[in-house]
Amino acid sequence: MTTVHAAPARPRSGTRRAWLVVALVVLAAVAVVSVGVGAHAIAPAAVLRALFAPTGTGDDAVVRHIRAPRALLAVGVGAALGVAGVLVQTISRNPLAEPGILGVTTGAGFAITLGSAAGLTATGAGELMLAVAGSVLATVIVHAVGRGSPLRLVLTGVALSAVLSGVSLGTRLLLPDVFDAYRFWAVGSLAGREQSPMLLPLLAIGLALVGAVLLSRQLDAVALGETVARSLGANVVAIRAGALVLITVLAGAATAIAGPILFVGLIVPHLARRVAGGSVPWLVAYAAVLGPILLLVSDVGSRVLLPTGEVPVAFVTAFLGAPVLIWAVRRYGAAPL
Amino acid sequence: MPVPTLARVTGALVLIVGLVAGCDSGAAEPAAPSGATRVFTADNGDITIPVAPKRVVATGYAVPALLEAGAPLVGISTWQRGLPMMSAKDRAAYDRLAKVAGESAAETNYEAIAQAEPDLIVIGVPKPVLADIDLDRLRAIAPVVALGPSLPSAWRDLSRKQADAAGALATFDTVRAAYVDKTKQLAAKYAGVLPKLKFAHLGAYGEVANGNFQREFNGSWGTNVAQDLGANYYGEVKVKGTGSKAVSEYPSIEELPSAFAAADVITYTVSADGSVPKGVRYVLDSELWKGLPAVKAGKIYPLRYTEAATYGSAMATADAADQALAPLLTS
Repeated sequence: MTTVHAAPARPRSGTRRAWLVVALVVLAAVAVVSVGVGAHAIAPAAVLRALFAPTGTGDDAVVRHIRAPRALLAVGVGAALGVAGVLVQTISRNPLAEPGILGVTTGAGFAITLGSAAGLTATGAGELMLAVAGSVLATVIVHAVGRGSPLRLVLTGVALSAVLSGVSLGTRLLLPDVFDAYRFWAVGSLAGREQSPMLLPLLAIGLALVGAVLLSRQLDAVALGETVARSLGANVVAIRAGALVLITVLAGAATAIAGPILFVGLIVPHLARRVAGGSVPWLVAYAAVLGPILLLVSDVGSRVLLPTGEVPVAFVTAFLGAPVLIWAVRRYGAAPL
Repeated sequence: MPVPTLARVTGALVLIVGLVAGCDSGAAEPAAPSGATRVFTADNGDITIPVAPKRVVATGYAVPALLEAGAPLVGISTWQRGLPMMSAKDRAAYDRLAKVAGESAAETNYEAIAQAEPDLIVIGVPKPVLADIDLDRLRAIAPVVALGPSLPSAWRDLSRKQADAAGALATFDTVRAAYVDKTKQLAAKYAGVLPKLKFAHLGAYGEVANGNFQREFNGSWGTNVAQDLGANYYGEVKVKGTGSKAVSEYPSIEELPSAFAAADVITYTVSADGSVPKGVRYVLDSELWKGLPAVKAGKIYPLRYTEAATYGSAMATADAADQALAPLLTS
């Protein structure tokens, strides 16, 4: 018996544009809150003074050197993970896919583990390079082995992730110093990353986001299925390879600078789909805005939840994101890919 | 002659039941100490132990304490964190002795402990960690005395109790007297300087993670020996916890200026080789650190050997603190 799904009703462009503007306004508001709220209370006027007329006080340093870079990081990482999630769900045609399924996260973790054992993680730059190298290597292996079909790709990613996780875990258990070094990186967090070199990864994320926008129209055809895409004249293999490169850059750079924050890449595409429907270009646009909103809100939460210290943002995205995802699915039903 | 299948299966079942019954240690009787005994109060209750044990197994914090006290050890757990602070004699003994457990309580090797044939087992792990150890199984081998750490500065009392249980108080008291003499001399040397200053300490242990720092107050690992020299680490934790959390906390890096603003002097933990641990390096590289009054005044000093948990190793800590704080005498 064959089940025929009706094509999802696509919201009108005007509605999409209006909601995107609303989302951008919310993003701007959340970014302002993110710079203004933290473990150390600073009056709004002092925040403004720190941003536009600093006098070298402790409050100025907190705003300019801790909160502002952190907000910028949240925007970059959130957009990268959200858009990577859209791309991976589109090319795998799997609503449960997220960037980590291609081995990006475990590849980075594996490289950090080996790098710690070799003493290469003493600096932020060293850690960053290792994480990027691990992500790229893992994705290249997954692509080389599983490029035949989306299912094969996902299965290869899962298998490689399992192997790398096992080897990493074994190494960390055998070497307590490596375990200690790894734990700093492994908890996905935006805290304490402000000293890491951010320019290059954020630049890479920016370029990959532009690439995602350019590729999104062709991905629209792939989203209809391989046969339909071919009949429309799309080069499915080339489009899929291009998407994989973008996913690797986006998720690899985000994971390298913030550690593994797994849930954003899964939730954001689902939330974006509520408004964007099945249009990949609109999905990319919405994910690039909703990802930062989710991460900024979670990051503010991570700073104020405990009386002293912080909760890693990856915990907050999970606690915040999971109910939102369940609510969205129950409220609207799972939107078809 | 072929054996019928039913008979073979029955035989195998009987054998398995017999083996399982033989392996069951849950019903084993506690080992009774031989010779003169006494009742010793430990974390696990009142325990009857030999007055003069001849073969002692030590784990956790009891390892450095009993090595230093010259107890008759026949087996120990590994204790990597204490190696840089051990004397050559203690280190040789550490290397020579059989390792019957790893760094964590879950790595206890019960067979190796049984093979060592101890007449006393001294467990030096915190109370909550005792749950990871099968005490019944150990009790079947020898009397078990659990004496674990509470507050960091309580190592003084803890190591004495451990030495007492192992019948090694004589050497212990000699080492303690040497420490007391040394710190008295150093306290006299710094009497005109340290008591007038407000100290703060940046630590490197426990829950140090990205974006936070460890502030240690009086009675913590990084501060308790410097206190014996006369330093006073002002303030107290915002939310009092148990163990080390009663005397140290992990605020966000944003709170660094307010936490250390009133400090005249800031000390910070470094590794035994003088290298700066990652969590401490993060704070030292922060722009917020550079704006602190004590940092601007150049009153920041690294402290080595802050993990000392015995009087012998604490003498190395006291020497290191003396070396670090010496500039205060001339400033």
